[in-house]
Amino acid sequence: MPGFRAALPAALLLLLLSSFPPAAAEQPPWPWTPGAMHALNPSDRHASRAAWTALHYSNYHEASPSTLRALRQVLKATVKIIPGLGVKYYLQFTTEGYINGENAGSCLATVLYLKKSPPEVYIKCAHTQDKKQIQEEDNKFYHYLHHQTKPIIANNIPDSHGNIDRAHLPLWGLAIAGSSYIMLEKSTENLGYFMAQVKAVKQRIRKDSAVEFEFIVLLHETPTQKIELCHMHLIWTLSPPLRVKYICTSDNHWLEDGSGQDYGSAAGLFHEKEGNF
Amino acid sequence: QKVRELQELEHLQLDFWLSPRGLGDPVDIRVPFPSLQPLKAHLEANGVPYSIMIEDVQALVDLEQMQMLRRRRFMPFSTSTFDYTSYHTLDEIYAFMDLLVAENPNLVSKLEIGHTTENRPIYVLKFSKGGTNRPAIWIDTGIHSREWVTQASGVWFAKKIVQEQNEGLANILDQMDIFLEIVTNPDGFVFTHTSNRMWRKTRSKHSGALCVGVDPNRNWDAGFGGSGASSNPCSETYRGPYANSEPEVQAIVDFVKSHGNIKAFISIHSYSQLLLYPYGYTTTAVPDKEELHQVAKEAVAALSSLYGTNYKYGSIITTIYQASGGTIDWTYNQGIKYSFTFELRDTGRYGFLLPASQIVPTAQETWKALEVIMAHTRGHLY
Repeated sequence: MPGFRAALPAALLLLLLSSFPPAAAEQPPWPWTPGAMHALNPSDRHASRAAWTALHYSNYHEASPSTLRALRQVLKATVKIIPGLGVKYYLQFTTEGYINGENAGSCLATVLYLKKSPPEVYIKCAHTQDKKQIQEEDNKFYHYLHHQTKPIIANNIPDSHGNIDRAHLPLWGLAIAGSSYIMLEKSTENLGYFMAQVKAVKQRIRKDSAVEFEFIVLLHETPTQKIELCHMHLIWTLSPPLRVKYICTSDNHWLEDGSGQDYGSAAGLFHEKEGNF
Repeated sequence: QKVRELQELEHLQLDFWLSPRGLGDPVDIRVPFPSLQPLKAHLEANGVPYSIMIEDVQALVDLEQMQMLRRRRFMPFSTSTFDYTSYHTLDEIYAFMDLLVAENPNLVSKLEIGHTTENRPIYVLKFSKGGTNRPAIWIDTGIHSREWVTQASGVWFAKKIVQEQNEGLANILDQMDIFLEIVTNPDGFVFTHTSNRMWRKTRSKHSGALCVGVDPNRNWDAGFGGSGASSNPCSETYRGPYANSEPEVQAIVDFVKSHGNIKAFISIHSYSQLLLYPYGYTTTAVPDKEELHQVAKEAVAALSSLYGTNYKYGSIITTIYQASGGTIDWTYNQGIKYSFTFELRDTGRYGFLLPASQIVPTAQETWKALEVIMAHTRGHLY
């Protein structure tokens, strides 16, 4: 369709212009025909944002710190406007292990951004990792946590210099899996998230077969550049679903003081918001 | 005599710091803990007076070790022993700059271009082989304080320029000067060390504001007040009460205007792995778009050739988002054609907390891109 392709860059620019300012904006008038599929440049910010939304979904639903994926590259992206409902992205992208950076295969995904609810995601990834090995790693970690007599407590993962203690790597993984639930719920066409840091983690020893943690995580929101502080409560039983409850600073319309973040006062201020179950 | 006998009691493992010499001369002994009681007993039984000079030698040793380590980091003896694979404090970076100048007085000088809100000096390194007001290249890092890999890379660039002055940079330094501002936001940088690692803005307190700080990359006089920045002082993209309200920004504005001969301006951020050219505040393409796009393409190719790091490139507004009051929009409008912004590693995994082990690879690959931009500027002086 030569005619359409020539018009695309201008339309793309228009789309980008009309999507800003982010978050607060009403749904802008799209320049594309609703109902029709429109190809996107794979480098388009919206494509990678949608791919990450799909990965947040996958990283949460797998409930496996050893299986976490990060985006490597978007190969193909198309978008369709569904009038009255939202915008749907169709994506093909490559991934790598979140923790080890190794090739983790490609994924196909659809991401439907809705007006008033979290996005709906379908994702299917090729399995490049040995399923048995992953299971073993998760099992090892699970049993290590389950057999603690004193609760694990840690701060700043990674630390200011980007270091993560070997012993804390699985904790970081668990935090990412749990935070992915939060990030999935908050993601929109125009707002993206990354987990910036685990500020604090404290284990709650249980008598049953589950492991339980309280986290304070920092999420980096783009393009606003905001750092969201979230208090996250997580229960892991090795198999999905991961049970997550959370509350974030923005949920409480919390006005930061002059220093920007005051982590000490975060604890105890928040009531529980049911994330799952 | 009695003290000499002590030397024979090998099982006590006494360490004589001052051995017995003669009558009346003091004897100093370091005593391992288990031998303390037996030794005291022996001395008292034999009527030998003693006093304790140091209660706990180990504690002193530990303290000294710590101080030595700190001193070694704080004051490296030369820029050859400086640790480029670690993140450093403001004091350490300022000390590095003085060392570099001292070691290369014919090439490097340090300029003070202003003071921050908290009254810290703002320094720029000048690399020049002579001439008067030669056409120049400007590079700044650390305008957003939490983007630590940028200041760390700036330190590495400074050393690299000195190393390459008669090699890869000879052609450029024969005609042009290089200005490098390593810590563009000193107050914010100190704050990331002392209080909040995720601090981005300056530390200014404007009257009536509930929150501290202005986004220095929204404070320039280019599209100021338009979409792409916030008017809320508590926002991370707060533009400030007016353009150039921030002394950190005003200092560069004054410098650029009074120099009058800067030909390339490169402002470095992290993270996202992008190379960007103007505009951010408007979708209108810059007149030099084709050329800038081509230069960016070559620069990114050079960068990727080193470690395969994947970068995207384009104008700010199409590639990243609309942003008003940005640095390179202003510099471009001042007539500095080769205005670029980098967003260094990574793409979200570590984000601002990039492991120190990635500092040097990041600096190395970025340098490849900078070489392309500098060479193109040199070959297309205007």
